[in-house]
Amino acid sequence: MTPLTNHTLLVAATLFSLGLIGFLSRKNMILMFLSVELMLAGVATNFIAFGSHHGNVQGEIFAILILTVASCEAAMALALVVALHRRKSTLDVGAWSELRETAEGFEAEPLIRDKSPSELYPSLTPAGVDPLKKQVVSKYNSGQMAQKA
Amino acid sequence: MSNIVWLIPLAPLIGCLACIVMRARRMSDSLASGAAIIGLGVAAIAALVCLLRVEPGADGFIAQGYDWLRVGAMRIPVALRLDGISLAQINVVTFISLLVAIYSRGYMKGDPGYIRFFAVICGFVFSMAMLVLASNLLVLYAFWEGVGLCSYLLIGFWYQKPSAAKAAQKAFLVNRLADCGFLLGILLLWYGVGLTGIDVASGLNRLDFGTIFQAAPLLQEEHPTLLGWVGVLLLIGAIGKSAQFPFHVWLPDAMEGPTPVSALIHAATMVTAGVYLLARMSPLLQFTPSVLVAAGWLGAITALLAGLIALFQDDLKRVLAYSTVSQLGYLFLAFGAGLGDSMLSTAVVAAMFHLVTHAFFKALLFLASGNVMHAMGDVIDMRRFGGLKSVLPSTHVLFLIGALALVGIPPLAGFWSKEGILGLLAGQLSDPRYGGLFTIWLAIGLVSALLTAIYTFKAYFRTFHGATRVPAEAGDHAHEASSTMLAPLWVLAVGSILSGVVLHFTGGLERLMLPISTLAMPKEGHHSHLWLAIVSVALAAVGIWVGKTWAARTVAGDKEAEPTGGFAWLGANRFFLDEIFDQLLVRPTQIVGRSLSLFDQFVIDGAAKFVSSLPNALGTQVRRWQQGLVPKYALGMVVGLLAAIALTFFRG
Repeated sequence: MTPLTNHTLLVAATLFSLGLIGFLSRKNMILMFLSVELMLAGVATNFIAFGSHHGNVQGEIFAILILTVASCEAAMALALVVALHRRKSTLDVGAWSELRETAEGFEAEPLIRDKSPSELYPSLTPAGVDPLKKQVVSKYNSGQMAQKA
Repeated sequence: MSNIVWLIPLAPLIGCLACIVMRARRMSDSLASGAAIIGLGVAAIAALVCLLRVEPGADGFIAQGYDWLRVGAMRIPVALRLDGISLAQINVVTFISLLVAIYSRGYMKGDPGYIRFFAVICGFVFSMAMLVLASNLLVLYAFWEGVGLCSYLLIGFWYQKPSAAKAAQKAFLVNRLADCGFLLGILLLWYGVGLTGIDVASGLNRLDFGTIFQAAPLLQEEHPTLLGWVGVLLLIGAIGKSAQFPFHVWLPDAMEGPTPVSALIHAATMVTAGVYLLARMSPLLQFTPSVLVAAGWLGAITALLAGLIALFQDDLKRVLAYSTVSQLGYLFLAFGAGLGDSMLSTAVVAAMFHLVTHAFFKALLFLASGNVMHAMGDVIDMRRFGGLKSVLPSTHVLFLIGALALVGIPPLAGFWSKEGILGLLAGQLSDPRYGGLFTIWLAIGLVSALLTAIYTFKAYFRTFHGATRVPAEAGDHAHEASSTMLAPLWVLAVGSILSGVVLHFTGGLERLMLPISTLAMPKEGHHSHLWLAIVSVALAAVGIWVGKTWAARTVAGDKEAEPTGGFAWLGANRFFLDEIFDQLLVRPTQIVGRSLSLFDQFVIDGAAKFVSSLPNALGTQVRRWQQGLVPKYALGMVVGLLAAIALTFFRG
């Protein structure tokens, strides 16, 4: 295995992993979709690496096919996202959880916009302040940021 | 011919179905009872035609039907067997039931369950006809339960009355107890006949009567113990249905049903099914003398015991019920008398003779007491009425005829048939093996005859003589029954007077019934014993006189309720047999039942509930994960994928 192949595979794996992490951690549908695209790109890069390793063009052909399909898919997915946003005026994927367990004791997770900002961002206590008192509000916890989000 | 035979059970069945349909369509009562009576009438005529036209011979005339069960080589056909025994019995059953149905048309008038009554009566006659005509033991058993069911339905006919519902249950359960024995007997017999291999050789059904009778001598040689047990178990079945000691307790309570039912089912027909079974199986029982001894002893004990209890009863129908039990004891006694050398076929004829005459006069007595009950506003307690001779003149004469026939005053029917049984015993007193036994049984039989006369005429004099007293329930319109109700009674009265003489002197039953399959023909003809006739008539006369004086003492006041003296106390309480039964059988069964129910609740149900709670608990845990959030699902997928990869990586 040539170093080029090795490096290309590393890049592909990195792309895929970033996409996977993004997909798992994000709740914004557009960002999730972007993450999926990132994973697809990683896979396509993999194809190219193996294509060049074996010295044929089949990998590249596949990569181009993936790009084509991805563009079609992007059109459809964004249209869907727009339609979903029209219904609930939010992009939070948690808003569409009707198929969850609805019995007593199983509450739906609150949407991001319903959460207080302190739940959204890590709030580190500034240095030099007693952590137990927590009276000093960090810059990130201010009301301005919440309004922007 | 075969078609006419099939009419006997099917006509009542059609009558029964017609009644059910008419009830559903809310048609009129008289139409439904008419249909029922036509069905029963057709059956009676068909039975009569069979009696006149069929020459059954020793092995009977078989009317083929259809196969009930066919499993491999085994075949249980439903076919009808006509021979002397079944012809005699079926004619009694259909004729009496026709008369009782006509009587009931008047008796049951206005009852809300009128059509139901006729439907069940028809169903009963259908079952009884199939029981009598069945050509194999399994079909007989099926309809044995069928008549039990109809009996249950009719005892509990007024099911709103707690006492009636209880009596029905009691009858059914006591019968079930005995039927368990019967069923075991059938199974054992099935096994035994299979051992002999007769059924394989002849290609016949194992439980077909013909096969059984052929197999019996072989079984006697090879497996005498098995045959003995079969006999004992069949006897247990017979004493249950025929209310013999110790299973007699259900019959007096069965009087909670309407009086025509008491007359038909619990006096004339169904309760004789046990006797019929013994008669039917007599070719088998000839090899089991110990069973015949048991039958004789049970009959003797029952005849005596029931007679003693009947002395102290105040309820007219109960007196008659105990009298029935006592007379059925005579029938069993007759089988005991069949112990002698080649005497069993004579004994069977004697038993069937008494069965026929008893059916007439006991039905007559019951229906006459039904007339009394009808007029007295459903009061049947003899302490509350008396001197009804002037109020119910026809009923009085009819009851008197029945009573005279029952106690055995010549030339009425009871004399000849009772004489037949006692004469059989008297003729064998010098028997080398069983002579002593026969002497004891004859003595018991004579004492029972005396008791019969006492309690019958005590009841007669209390009811019809003395000062006229009518209970308040009757209102001021106590009147004789309508002609619909009286006409069948007169027919029965004629039967009670004539059947004995006719059958005795023409020997009709002997000619009809003998020879009975493989039973040996009797060596000698029937001897009449003049001394016995004189003794028993004298005893009857004494009994009547005692009954009259006793009745005169009791009629004096209503307050004669508390019996005095230890013996009367025992008799009035029916020798506490019901209580003994309760302590010995009912209580332990209840205790076992309760503990088993606890076991069921805690162990079996507990295990089942535990198993069913497992998936439930698992589900409760797993459903936490179903939050409807796509990233969480994807996380699960990824974790699973990583696990799979790790597994292949570390194992490979």
